[in-house]
Amino acid sequence: MPDGNNVDSASLAPSRRRFVLTILALISGTVASVLGVPLAAFFALPAFRRAERRWLEVGRVSDFAEGRIQKVLAKPLIAQVWPYETPAVALYVANHGSETFTLFHNHCTHVGCPVHWNDQASRFFSPCHGGVFDREGRVLAGPPPRALDRYEYKIENGILYAGRIYKVNEDLRFREWHHV
Amino acid sequence: MASRIGQVLEWFQERLGTREQLSKFLYRRLPEGTTWWHTLGSATLFLIIVQTVTGFFLAFYYVPSPEHAYDSLIYIQGEIPFGNFVRGLHHWGASVTVVVVFLHMLRVFFMGAYKYPRELSWMAGVCLFLLILLFGFTGYLLSWDQKAYWATVVGTHIAGTAPLVGDYLWRILQGGTEVGARTLGRFYAAHVLILPAVLYAFVLVHISMVIYQGIAPVPRGKLGIIRKDRYKEVYEKSKAKGESFLEHLFRDGIVSFLLFLVLVWMAIAWKVPMEELADPTSTTYVPRPEWYFYFLFELLWLFPGEWIPVATFYIPVAGVLLLYSISLLDQPGDARRGERLFVEKGCATCHSIGGEGKIGPDLKQWKRYGSPILWAELMWNHALTMELKIRDFGLSWPQFERNEMVDLIAYIQMEIGLPGASK
Repeated sequence: MPDGNNVDSASLAPSRRRFVLTILALISGTVASVLGVPLAAFFALPAFRRAERRWLEVGRVSDFAEGRIQKVLAKPLIAQVWPYETPAVALYVANHGSETFTLFHNHCTHVGCPVHWNDQASRFFSPCHGGVFDREGRVLAGPPPRALDRYEYKIENGILYAGRIYKVNEDLRFREWHHV
Repeated sequence: MASRIGQVLEWFQERLGTREQLSKFLYRRLPEGTTWWHTLGSATLFLIIVQTVTGFFLAFYYVPSPEHAYDSLIYIQGEIPFGNFVRGLHHWGASVTVVVVFLHMLRVFFMGAYKYPRELSWMAGVCLFLLILLFGFTGYLLSWDQKAYWATVVGTHIAGTAPLVGDYLWRILQGGTEVGARTLGRFYAAHVLILPAVLYAFVLVHISMVIYQGIAPVPRGKLGIIRKDRYKEVYEKSKAKGESFLEHLFRDGIVSFLLFLVLVWMAIAWKVPMEELADPTSTTYVPRPEWYFYFLFELLWLFPGEWIPVATFYIPVAGVLLLYSISLLDQPGDARRGERLFVEKGCATCHSIGGEGKIGPDLKQWKRYGSPILWAELMWNHALTMELKIRDFGLSWPQFERNEMVDLIAYIQMEIGLPGASK
């Protein structure tokens, strides 16, 4: 019913109404996508950059006593896109002799709490939910779903470098990269 | 002076119709029996405003970068006048808000205020609840101490265990593959820009709905169960006996003020705990989340190995879905379906409602007892007789599924002419 405030809806031809609504929808859609796609990429893509972590200098090969597990702090060798973007990391280095090493990531494979190496017990312990790992990183107790993650490594001129982090399978061999 | 004020008011009155607007707002009727428990919603709004205002001022000094975040808070608390007080209000206010929101939800749940026609207010409320938890999660990284850092490592790991999208979620939350500068930037932007905008939008929607629908009638006595088709009439009747919003505003004011006093006391008495500066290389730190995420953290004990997503994903998601859906699952009874059930389940074999007496008592007399709970009590007292008669007539013992019992009650209420139910 027409009154002072509202126009009689029947007086507006359906084709006209459809035309107006279509144009408005097109304008909204264009604005949303021209803004939305770059903003989504701006927000999300840096999170998927590859190989942000380069080789880290861990120490001289001769610094690591054979048969022992030592905690090492390492700083990224190559300057990052953004200072402090990759903070110092902690890793555990096990020297098996004749230039073979295992480098353990210090995050528990359960929900990421920092694992602690206890030399007397010869175990890694996680403080949150009772995860226990042996000196090879195998799960001995608690909820962790897999053995401790490891760093790939290389030795150049007597210096040990740590690379990317990978997950291991039940035989403690490479399964997949923790992130690429 | 008084006439000057009068003139100013008149100026506004001419332009905005202030007097009518105000009296419509202050003197609108509420349903009868509105209680002190009904103040928790406005108390939540009050706390949100306190959080917003203290947050504004913290933002003047806080620097969201790993190099400066921790020191800027030490500076706020050590050097700035009332720094401890302002940060204390914001810090303890967060916990108090979670508590009050939770109590508000309990009030709404136990008074059945989420039911028809307020399902959407409840759903908007659940969104607000989740937003407030997100405020907590993004807020506590900002202090960049050990607790902040490691609780976020655990938090993002938990998000990372979601099926299919876990890895993406983990990266997007962190802005990369570890908790670092970009994570802090993200959490800061979310905490001070995105979440507040979304929160206030939902607050607006939630409150508009509450004003549009009116406060839900308190389910006491005869208002216990209201049929859908009779809802408007019963509600209006209940409002006719109710008091004005101004009376309730008085209760709102008292409760908010008491909460404010508690908050001020907390901010003065308890220094906001700051741990050591965040250290990603730590191997001796024991991470613990804020108390309101503790249940999730401890739940992880129960689901080892491949069961982890049960605790980190399926249980929380199921909980949230349950919260959203209760308002749809729990519908008022349908008297027409109830009428059919009355015959199908065999009730009509022995009982009439306001007809000539059959073998069992006429249910019209149940009107005296009002509440269906008392009916159940009556039936319980005569269960033996009923069972023998049911056997005599070769009937089966009636079983009720889903909403059938509620439908049956709606029908009986309608037939015996209880308020909220009569024809």
